[in-house]
Amino acid sequence: MIQMFHVSKSYEGGVPALADITLKIAKGEFLFITGPSGAGKSTLLKIMFGSEPPTQGQLILDGRNYVKIPPPELPALRRRIGFVFQDFKLLPNKSVFDNVALSLKVMGIPPSDVKRRVARMLTYVKLQHRANFKPLQLSGGEQQRVAIARALVKDPAIILADEPTGNLDPELSVQIIELFKEVNSRGTTVVIATHDKALIERYARRTIALEGGRLVHA
Amino acid sequence: MRKSGSADFVYIVQDALSSLRESKGTMVLTSLTLGFSLAIFSLFVFVISNLNGVMEGWGEKTQIIVYVKDTAASAEAMKESIMKVAGVKAAEFVSKEKALSELKSALKGHEGILEGVDADPLPASFEIRVLEGHNSPEGISKVVEELKSRDWADDVQYSREWVEKLASFIKFAKVAAAGVGVFLGAATLFIISNTIRLAVYARRSEIEIMKLVGASDMYVRAPFVIEGAIQGLVGGLLAMGLLAAGRYVLIGQVPPYLAFALEMPFPVPVFTLALILAGVLMGVAGSLVSMNRFLDV
Repeated sequence: MIQMFHVSKSYEGGVPALADITLKIAKGEFLFITGPSGAGKSTLLKIMFGSEPPTQGQLILDGRNYVKIPPPELPALRRRIGFVFQDFKLLPNKSVFDNVALSLKVMGIPPSDVKRRVARMLTYVKLQHRANFKPLQLSGGEQQRVAIARALVKDPAIILADEPTGNLDPELSVQIIELFKEVNSRGTTVVIATHDKALIERYARRTIALEGGRLVHA
Repeated sequence: MRKSGSADFVYIVQDALSSLRESKGTMVLTSLTLGFSLAIFSLFVFVISNLNGVMEGWGEKTQIIVYVKDTAASAEAMKESIMKVAGVKAAEFVSKEKALSELKSALKGHEGILEGVDADPLPASFEIRVLEGHNSPEGISKVVEELKSRDWADDVQYSREWVEKLASFIKFAKVAAAGVGVFLGAATLFIISNTIRLAVYARRSEIEIMKLVGASDMYVRAPFVIEGAIQGLVGGLLAMGLLAAGRYVLIGQVPPYLAFALEMPFPVPVFTLALILAGVLMGVAGSLVSMNRFLDV
């Protein structure tokens, strides 16, 4: 599903964020990426998502080889990937319903289908009673679930989640990971970046560890 | 997965309308800026067009007078001959009798001076106007030379100094107007593009989020284009309203010698359409240019 060969990423000024990462993630896999803050977890996810081009190396997504994903192909790629951002990236002026619906609207899904699928997804993440609220009227945990609902509602082939439990208490963290597990059991590839060791130990899934931009455990 | 192009259109229009509702303040501010800027620029275009008209009027008044010998042929034959000269627009025959009555009216109140004078001492003449393209000092000289060669012409007079002064003034006025026009046009564009840029900048995270969930550039751009067009339309109409209101207030207040500035130099429907089109174009182009740099996510 996702393959990386000798991928490196440096930012302006030559600061290396990732160095020589070779990685293979199979279809339907559930993978944790761990490591301390600044280890390069987010950068790795962004490269898989096409929002950061690698400085070196190659990326294979769905059998297609990219050095840099051409901009016209990005929308189609992103419609197949659900990304849960660390800072949620919700639209503050739109309701919870509209935030989740955005994922489907950009795909041209007809309004009646959008309504049905968003309602179902909000029930799934237990936010149906918050549908008309604005994000800033919600708690951090609720905003996190809106972000997850937006990523899941389009039935993506891949879920990339950047610290999806970062703002949650342990109980809610487990609930969220259970959600991802369920999605994974239906065939979706799930990649979660987290520094929560307890969570990783609890689920005992394949885990790769980054440190200073290098793969230290694969 | 069911997909529908018409759904795209519905969402794009809905997005545009809801953004306009959500950011009423910005929308009003942008429209006002567009309206006032366009009104100021239009006012300049008005004044310049009217001034141009006035200056052309002066040019048309430039006259050459050909005094005719008493032995000359018939007025019709002379007129025919004058009209054949390249650059002549019109020629009016002033008979001896008419010359006398004109002199009398010029001396109103002192008619006694002319008592007992009959028309004979005054020569008949032709008052000649030249075409617009020939009223440069060189053009008029050519016409004058040509007229002098007529054997019935006694003398040909025109005000060389006036023609030369007028020509150099018109030349200066045109350069000055072009300079001010470029300056004012650039200022207008700068103000409008900056206002739109700030409005788009405030929504950069919205553009980023839409791109991140998989919206195509077209899908992200379209609501901004619609909003820009609506703001431009409102701005164009506002400019029209401001100009009409300003004219209504000023008319009757300005001294007669400045009244020409308030004339409507273009047909109203054409001008309204041009203002609206300019507003819409600026709104759309401003939005497109401003948002382009945020699309690279």
